[in-house]
Amino acid sequence: MEDHKNRDVEDVLIGIAGDLIQDWGLEMEGISVSTKLVADLEFASVDIIQFCMAIEQHYDWKLGFNKLLIKDGSYVPDLSIAQVASFVADALNGGV
Amino acid sequence: MRTLLIGLDGATFTILDDLVKEGPDGPVMPFLSKIYKEGVRCKLLSTPNPLTPPAWVSLMTGESPGYHGIYDFIRAEEADGDMFFTLYDSRDNRSETIWSIASRQGKRVAALNFPFTAPPPSNLNGFMVPGFVPWRHLRRNSRPDDLYDRMKALPGFDPKELAWDFDREKKAIDLLSDEERENWIRYHLPREAQWFRIADNLLGGESLDLMAVMFDGVDKLQHQAWQFIDPGLRDGVDGEYCRRMRELCMDYFRQLDGFIEKLITAAGPDVQTFIASDHGFTSTYEIVRINVYLHEKGYLKWKPVSNTPEAVRRENSMFSNLEWKDTVAYCQTPSSNGITIRVARKPGDTGIRPEDYQTFRDSLIKDLENLRDLETGERIISRIYKREEVFSGPAMGNAPDLLLSLRDSGFVSIKNISPVIERRSEVAGTHHPEGIFLAYGPGINRGAVKGEMKIVDVAAVLLYSLGLEVPGDMEGRVAGGIFTEDYLAGRPVRISNLGSVVEKDERSEEMAEDEKNKIMSQLRMLGYME
Repeated sequence: MEDHKNRDVEDVLIGIAGDLIQDWGLEMEGISVSTKLVADLEFASVDIIQFCMAIEQHYDWKLGFNKLLIKDGSYVPDLSIAQVASFVADALNGGV
Repeated sequence: MRTLLIGLDGATFTILDDLVKEGPDGPVMPFLSKIYKEGVRCKLLSTPNPLTPPAWVSLMTGESPGYHGIYDFIRAEEADGDMFFTLYDSRDNRSETIWSIASRQGKRVAALNFPFTAPPPSNLNGFMVPGFVPWRHLRRNSRPDDLYDRMKALPGFDPKELAWDFDREKKAIDLLSDEERENWIRYHLPREAQWFRIADNLLGGESLDLMAVMFDGVDKLQHQAWQFIDPGLRDGVDGEYCRRMRELCMDYFRQLDGFIEKLITAAGPDVQTFIASDHGFTSTYEIVRINVYLHEKGYLKWKPVSNTPEAVRRENSMFSNLEWKDTVAYCQTPSSNGITIRVARKPGDTGIRPEDYQTFRDSLIKDLENLRDLETGERIISRIYKREEVFSGPAMGNAPDLLLSLRDSGFVSIKNISPVIERRSEVAGTHHPEGIFLAYGPGINRGAVKGEMKIVDVAAVLLYSLGLEVPGDMEGRVAGGIFTEDYLAGRPVRISNLGSVVEKDERSEEMAEDEKNKIMSQLRMLGYME
């Protein structure tokens, strides 16, 4: 199985997020691993779903994002690119 | 180009027959009147639950919901003792669409504004702008990748106007005054023009075999303004506001008629044009609070609602808010018009024992049959279908256990409000199983009125028009009476020995609260809520 390193996944996710928001007119410097989806990119939940969909399409793999998005029966309020990348890398490496 | 499909969401002959009639100023829809005279038309029978998601997917795949697996806008998944909702998308569709079938055989297609086409198929040969997608995600879900920039260059292009605007519609339902209802209709005139301009641009600049565009304003207008346009209710159209609303609706249909004419003209004299709706429309006059009734009969328990904003929002959502551990039968969503029976598949699950299913379901049916009009004794639920009667197929397991057909064709309510049955303060528009189908162009019969056709047949007709074989495993068939005998003799319908090809992506997404609320607001606006 291919070893997916966090750093590589982070780069991919930064690219996907940048592609997603290109028409939104956000005033921000750029996307980094510490960028928060809701606080910084103004993601509504529909945007999170589209982001997850784009990631799954990129890797052509079912990643089970519900495990990341739902904790103790509630939706998590926000996530950083790094948090999502860590989850994705784990999932791709068979760890989730 | 060979084939043009114009989808009119919710269009019904009840309205169109009136709009093609000669009046003092001519018909409201003169070009459609020409199609009536020079083409062929018939009623198009929708899916068992005449609803946008299953019906359009059936039209696009030639398969019934028991095969393609799309039954509603959303589906439920149970986790941690609660129910979570997920929006269906194209990857939930188990059947191959005509866009894919045509693409893999070298045909160049364009499909605009059809629901459940996002994300687009990877083998698409042509252009796709899916419907039901918020504007911020149109670019990512449009194909080819440069199409969005091409659309941006069109005069007047406004993605916020083009796409579903959940926020606009949420605001409208929070305070649905006469003025907001009027604005709701006004909003759809320029919105349809946006879709028309994209279609017109592609027709003018691309070599296509199939162009398909769907105008969904018909459905939205009819949900909110039915009482102003139904000829059977015309006597009630009185007063300045009513007259203004009716004229606004007529403006919409005049504009639509112009779009149809321009698209057919742009497609060229050799094109065969097909116009189809996913379902028809009719009047609903009463509210049926089905979960209140099931609660009275002991099948479900309501979840206590606190005063927190989250709890109130959840209670007002489109999905039942119940004590799941005490619920064995319930209606998930108003648009489903279905009852789900909870079966305990493993120890610890809530629900009836699998071996009790038949007995339990028969008893539930009897209870539903006994929901009657207190004055007349008439059954409120005129028909109750077991799912194997209407949803047989490999995807039947995702269907509700019972499908209800109300006496006024309306959608049920899932609100926790008494009484169970209540007359509406004013008549509203709701879906009817009989939609429309029209065909026009060379090789097509003239002036004929066929009996009726099934919605799954449309896909087969389109493939035939494109000169392609109809997949042998497709439910839909090329119905008789559409094409002339000479045309059929020169081009016999070919049924392939091979089946359709299904490309599946695995998926699992959960929908967060905010999105749920936006979608629910949209659905409520469309009349699936009280």
